[in-house]
Amino acid sequence: MATLDSTRRTPGQHGGIGWDGRTLLSMLEESESLFAQTGHYAGLRELEMMRSDPIGYEKLFSRLRGGLVSARSTALNISASPIVRELGELCFALYTPEGDSLALSTGIIVHVHTMSDAIKWMVRHRYEENPGIRPGDVFANNDPTIGDVHNADVQTFVPIFWEDELIAWAGGVTHVLDIGASTPGGVPVGPTMRYEDGIDLPCMKIGEHDELAPWHLERCRKRTRASAYYMLDERTRLAGCHMIRDAVERVLAEEGTRRFKVFSREVIEEGRRSFKARIREMTIPGRYRSPAVFDAEFSDKEQLPARARRDIVMHSPFEVRIGGDGTYELDYEGCSAWGWHSMNCTPSGMQGAIWVMFTQTLICNDKINDGAYFAIKTNFPEGTISNLGEAEGSTAIAWAFLQPSFTGFPRTISRALQARGFIEEILAAYSVSGNVQQGGGIDQYGSSSAIMNFEVSAQGMGAKYVLDGTDYCAAMFNPEGDMGDVEMWELISPFVYLSRRVKASSGGPGRHRGGSSFESLFMVNKTPFWELQNIGTGRVLSSAGLFGGYPGATAYIHNIHGADLTERALRGEAYPVADGDFEHPALMEIEGDSREYKNDGMTLLSPFANGDLYLSVMKGGAGLGDPLLRPVADVHRDVSEGHLLPRFAESIYGVGDRDAHRRRRLERARPTRDWVASERERILAQDLARPIKEMYAESMRLSPRWAAEYRGFWDLPEDFDFDVLTPTVTVARAQPGRTDPDDAADAFLAASEPVASTPSPGGGRLDRETLEALLDERLSRREVKEIQSGYKDADRFEKWISVLQDRVAYDDPIVLPAGEGLNIVRRRSDGQLVHRCDCGHDFCAHNRNWKMDAVVHVRESEEAILEVYPKMAGPDPTLQHLREYFCPSCARQLEVEALPPGYPVVHEFLPDVEGFYRGWLGREVPA
Amino acid sequence: MSDRGARIPRVLAIDAGGTMTDTFIVDEHGSFVVGKAQTTPEDESVGFMASARDALGQWDSTPEDGFPAIVSGIYSGTAMLNRLLQRQGLRVGCIVNAGHEDYLRLERGIQTYLGSSYSDRLHLATHFHNEPLVPRERMKGVRGRIDVFGDEVLPLRDEDVRVAARELLDEGVQGIVVSLLFSYRNSSHEQRVAAILEEEKKSSGVNGSVPVFLSSELYPMRRDLPRLNSTLIEAYAAEPSRTTLKAVRDITKKGGAKFELRVMSAHGGTVSIETAELGRTLVSGPIGGVVGGQALAERMGLRNVLCTDIGGTSFDIALITDGRFEITQTPDIARFVLNMPLVKIDSIGAGTGSFVRVNPNSNRPELGPDSAGSRIGVSWPPGGLETVSVTDLNLVLGRLNPDYFLGGDVDLDVELARDAIDRQLAGPLGLSVADAAAGVIELFEQTLKNEAVGQILGKGYSPTDYTLLCYGGGGPLHVAGYTDGVRYREVLVPAWAAGFSAFGCACADFDYRYDQTVDLPLLPSFGEVERAGIGTMITSAWLGLQDRVAAEFAKSTIERERIRFTHAVRMQYYGQLNDIEFISPHAALEGRAQVDDLIAAFEEAYAKMYASSARSPEFGYLVTHVIVHGTVDVEKPALPQMPEQPGTPPLKARRPVHWGRASDGEFVETDIFQLEEIRAGNSIEGPAIVEHSATTFAVPPGRSASLDCHHIFHLTDSSEA
Repeated sequence: MATLDSTRRTPGQHGGIGWDGRTLLSMLEESESLFAQTGHYAGLRELEMMRSDPIGYEKLFSRLRGGLVSARSTALNISASPIVRELGELCFALYTPEGDSLALSTGIIVHVHTMSDAIKWMVRHRYEENPGIRPGDVFANNDPTIGDVHNADVQTFVPIFWEDELIAWAGGVTHVLDIGASTPGGVPVGPTMRYEDGIDLPCMKIGEHDELAPWHLERCRKRTRASAYYMLDERTRLAGCHMIRDAVERVLAEEGTRRFKVFSREVIEEGRRSFKARIREMTIPGRYRSPAVFDAEFSDKEQLPARARRDIVMHSPFEVRIGGDGTYELDYEGCSAWGWHSMNCTPSGMQGAIWVMFTQTLICNDKINDGAYFAIKTNFPEGTISNLGEAEGSTAIAWAFLQPSFTGFPRTISRALQARGFIEEILAAYSVSGNVQQGGGIDQYGSSSAIMNFEVSAQGMGAKYVLDGTDYCAAMFNPEGDMGDVEMWELISPFVYLSRRVKASSGGPGRHRGGSSFESLFMVNKTPFWELQNIGTGRVLSSAGLFGGYPGATAYIHNIHGADLTERALRGEAYPVADGDFEHPALMEIEGDSREYKNDGMTLLSPFANGDLYLSVMKGGAGLGDPLLRPVADVHRDVSEGHLLPRFAESIYGVGDRDAHRRRRLERARPTRDWVASERERILAQDLARPIKEMYAESMRLSPRWAAEYRGFWDLPEDFDFDVLTPTVTVARAQPGRTDPDDAADAFLAASEPVASTPSPGGGRLDRETLEALLDERLSRREVKEIQSGYKDADRFEKWISVLQDRVAYDDPIVLPAGEGLNIVRRRSDGQLVHRCDCGHDFCAHNRNWKMDAVVHVRESEEAILEVYPKMAGPDPTLQHLREYFCPSCARQLEVEALPPGYPVVHEFLPDVEGFYRGWLGREVPA
Repeated sequence: MSDRGARIPRVLAIDAGGTMTDTFIVDEHGSFVVGKAQTTPEDESVGFMASARDALGQWDSTPEDGFPAIVSGIYSGTAMLNRLLQRQGLRVGCIVNAGHEDYLRLERGIQTYLGSSYSDRLHLATHFHNEPLVPRERMKGVRGRIDVFGDEVLPLRDEDVRVAARELLDEGVQGIVVSLLFSYRNSSHEQRVAAILEEEKKSSGVNGSVPVFLSSELYPMRRDLPRLNSTLIEAYAAEPSRTTLKAVRDITKKGGAKFELRVMSAHGGTVSIETAELGRTLVSGPIGGVVGGQALAERMGLRNVLCTDIGGTSFDIALITDGRFEITQTPDIARFVLNMPLVKIDSIGAGTGSFVRVNPNSNRPELGPDSAGSRIGVSWPPGGLETVSVTDLNLVLGRLNPDYFLGGDVDLDVELARDAIDRQLAGPLGLSVADAAAGVIELFEQTLKNEAVGQILGKGYSPTDYTLLCYGGGGPLHVAGYTDGVRYREVLVPAWAAGFSAFGCACADFDYRYDQTVDLPLLPSFGEVERAGIGTMITSAWLGLQDRVAAEFAKSTIERERIRFTHAVRMQYYGQLNDIEFISPHAALEGRAQVDDLIAAFEEAYAKMYASSARSPEFGYLVTHVIVHGTVDVEKPALPQMPEQPGTPPLKARRPVHWGRASDGEFVETDIFQLEEIRAGNSIEGPAIVEHSATTFAVPPGRSASLDCHHIFHLTDSSEA
């Protein structure tokens, strides 16, 4: 082979292999420095090709993207693994030599940027010199700290050369069924350190001359369960990359390399500009906060090593700042520490989640590329669960943190959309997918096998402003949800589905309820040995509600070993096939040797024998709006259709006497400031559950800024800290300091400088009458869809304000909507900008948290929680309570927080009102 | 024209669309006429007769005179699909496994976005559930389970069935669908349910009047939701359609017809209106063209054909490889996933009516996904549209004749189109109106080109292996554009492109097809005896299906001896999920050698379909389905056979036309011809336009077209000609 190679010129022998003989590293460094200097990708101030030849530009894009899409659809047919073939967990992309994506296929768009990180890592580590990058080479990566979400997402890269010049890279990624971790599955629950995460491929050269190396194939075959699937996926990615290379070569032959290079630069810069323009079109500059928590009960898991056996509550602060020029900045300052579990994330994985969310909401089109990446800023502090850095934690189920954490995304964006009047797009939080059933052992055919049941990709979605949440529909990680046919799952897993039924009261209550979910009951069948594990949510709620709606319910496990169901069936008796009602689980009727029945979001691998029952309870989306505003007829319909357990029609929705309900709200509530004063005493006394204290301590020790604001909010001593150990944090005590939250808000607004921007051309033609019909929910679902799918109208904000103004009893001008039933208003009597309820009640200044001047009812007893959630569906009050904020005058429920005791009142939306008007609208704030 | 009675009609094909019913009548020489009339949804036989009268009128004949001579009549229509879309079917009840009563509510999640554009598939807020065909209260669960091996895991609980039966009968259902898990493998539970239903029907006094539909009898294939949907559509929408079809048949009989009216079925053959699986005739429109493409391939000796059809809203592509079209097993239609073999057609949402916009945010031109539909474009004021369509672009470029749109029945206003294009496209893009229009059309054609070439490359073939066939009302206008620079073996445009789908229907075989999931493995570890055993199992499954085919033909009083059987399987590498269909080299697999022949045939078919790198023989194989086709000979249209006369047709007119880059961005004087005036053997040198009331064929500079003896244009590069 060596002699063969030496007969032809090796690229890179004379100078670099990059464009025009440069090294890849010099290309990357130049690109980065140009961006830093100019703020434009590759320093491009003008898009010359796009301007002078818009059609040719678009044709080139269409050809390249067409090549990616057809590579994906052909490759899909080669793959065997059910999650790739059936659920499309496959994506291809085309990259510049230094690793910026030009275009993506359909599929798991989460990887818009992860593969970019991997290519850049190779460039930075001078792969050009060692191990060398030559035509026909094949590289692989699945290291999340380099560029991936978790090991189970395996990437393949192929360089595309043209006359000794590396013109581009083709990349492909599949989510494999099993990666050979210490426990089976594509999202294995068991690992507590990275050594247990399975096969690792940190940017390895795995093939030459378009062939995979035998050592690589042998290693993967031996190191994965159900290796046939893994091997086919490997082949799928390579075949797809080669198809992309062919497609690009055809383009290069016809269009020439020069044109291709110009296009490569412009299409990314254009992607960056479009993204920012979209942000300016749809949002409001300002600061948004939407924290979430997630828990795992590990103290009782004897299979785990001692270090991992602690109960944890993870804190995701989720602060977004939308800058004056349309920059989207995501800040995880104050995030929990990494831990000895498999839920740790890397910046690359966090980026993945950002793209998953944006492409489902504001930029759902086929033009997405790394340009958008250049229009965002992120802060994932090292040492936190959002960026474990060099720490040795596992990242095997990074999604278990990403999903609850990013419930903040729809909530924050929806606040902006509500303020701008794009009410057709508003979504409350999705449900966190679960229960994810995974297992392995000897299957019904006698083969060693591993499976992950992906029916979790069709969960209840968040409520909309003008519609209920879509029931059993999609998942955060994949909008194209599909629970799969029962017969397809049973084909590859040793169990029978005894049911798949809608679960009442799984969706969060609200004026619009969250989408319902379902439960599945499995009976293990024809296996000599099988083990199962699950990921779900256990004792806290993660999909927070919006504008007064409640979070979607949590879930529970209910498994019966040695169940007598089969005996009952053989005797001809009636027997339950599902649990049904949360509060009256029908499976209690089934007897067995042992029963697992509890809220537990994380079970570890344990054996299940033939005839054993395993219940998978899925979760519903969050609700939106005050439940007392839900039409009574809709509540009755929810009950009759099995979306709501009957007793909640009264306790949540007050169908009997709503005025009495409102009176009761005010009787039970107290001024927020009073509650804050009493909660403060509790914090000073350190009277919180241990996992909660540890959560705060981690956040405070990792982030002096978060600690200072925490102390400032609760008026705690400058050196306050919780007296607990935080083993994965390097400092033992939080740095002293205290910041008043109001000062922080003022400082943010003072620094916010919206730049004058050309108003969005919109392009849509929605008129005021149709907007009102949309708001009043008089349109058919198809009509609503047409509005959602079309371009937005440029003057929506003006129409929206005018519609709202017509509907309130006061004359003071509405300046900015700040939630359902709540507006920032110019109070003519004193000229102040104030938060005002629709009933006319004024809370406080526009730059202060209105909740502090509301009245609050805190549900912190089991009894109080049972008024809203059935048993097994609500939070453990020691870990999380519900705070309902009401208008003191009309008792409207304006917001519900689901946070741990001791958490500051969240200042969710701090809009830069003046900047928005002067900068983005180009006019003064109404006087 | 010929004298009255000189033409003897032989084949009749009816395409009853949503608004118009087309009738295609062929005489014994292969000449044909197309008749049109308004569709009459309340009684389709009325529209049908009007359409047939219009067609025969062109030969100075009438249905009364012509029908007795017709030997073959094929019907295709959209009535069943519309009934489904409008939820106007029968009151049906379902019996499913207990615990799965929510099938139609959950609809696997996937049915919330089927049929959406790519961006809406991502755009979560747009997803929504369908209104179930059967409300939850008429979905009844019965306890009992069969597993993947066909073994009983839990016995069927008779009492559950009795309760369900009584409740459904009390509700006054008009049909009961039974679809239980793995019934395709073991139908004993479904059979038992059927037996109990019969008893309950007797005791409730509705003896026989409530039909029962078993999924194991109608669609014995794996995948529970598609199987339930397919069986349900049979009960819900197909049964009422049988009445419609009988009315059409009766009226033909009254007209003296001696032929048996047949219906176009999704698998590309025609079936009797008495068939048990009438639901398979749900979609037929786009299939006709592909069947026609296959007929053309056969008659002209073409091996591989790429069928392309441009309508107002979509571009449909189908491949005919080695003389056969592909079949997809689980298609989705009208937001339902189904379990019925359907001619594989890929469709993208780009047609002549597609809207064209410049995205205000990125300033990039975008096509579709929505379209003007029957409202044409801004150039047709009665349509009330404000957004430019592809048709508007063609008008301002002079490629379409505003005075001869649909033969002059519709007046189009070029100035309106020009103004709108100026404002909506040219201005934002910084181009002239003509450059913008020509550019966007180029982009449109590039999209179609990518799609067409992608289909071929995806199979590991090259365009030179395929003949491209273009039809549909919009095809001939764009075919030169979307084949530009691609070296197809040949580019063919039938002169009757607009009526090609109806022609295709008339070309379809009288053919029943039955599929059954079997899941028989052929693993590397298997010895001679095991292989032979699998062969025997496949053979016996084929025999079972042959009996079903024979039973269907018996309804048309056709004896078994006349049936030509074809035996096929769907097979995959063991562990893969992507099976492919091919014809078995043997009608019965007797012994190991014949099983090995089957494997060899699979490898050959697989290599044809996918890049050879995808082959995985080391896994072994799985025969997933056995398939039997039964065909009997029926009369089909021959291709027109005209004497060729070299020369140039008479000029109809000349007008300036903008051909984009092909005319250097200028308007150039272009010859206009009338299609009817072109004789076989004539050639046309581009730039030229051929007009017809139903279609416009564009031949740009540098291309030429010649009409052959079959009345098919061959579009070539002038340099080659």
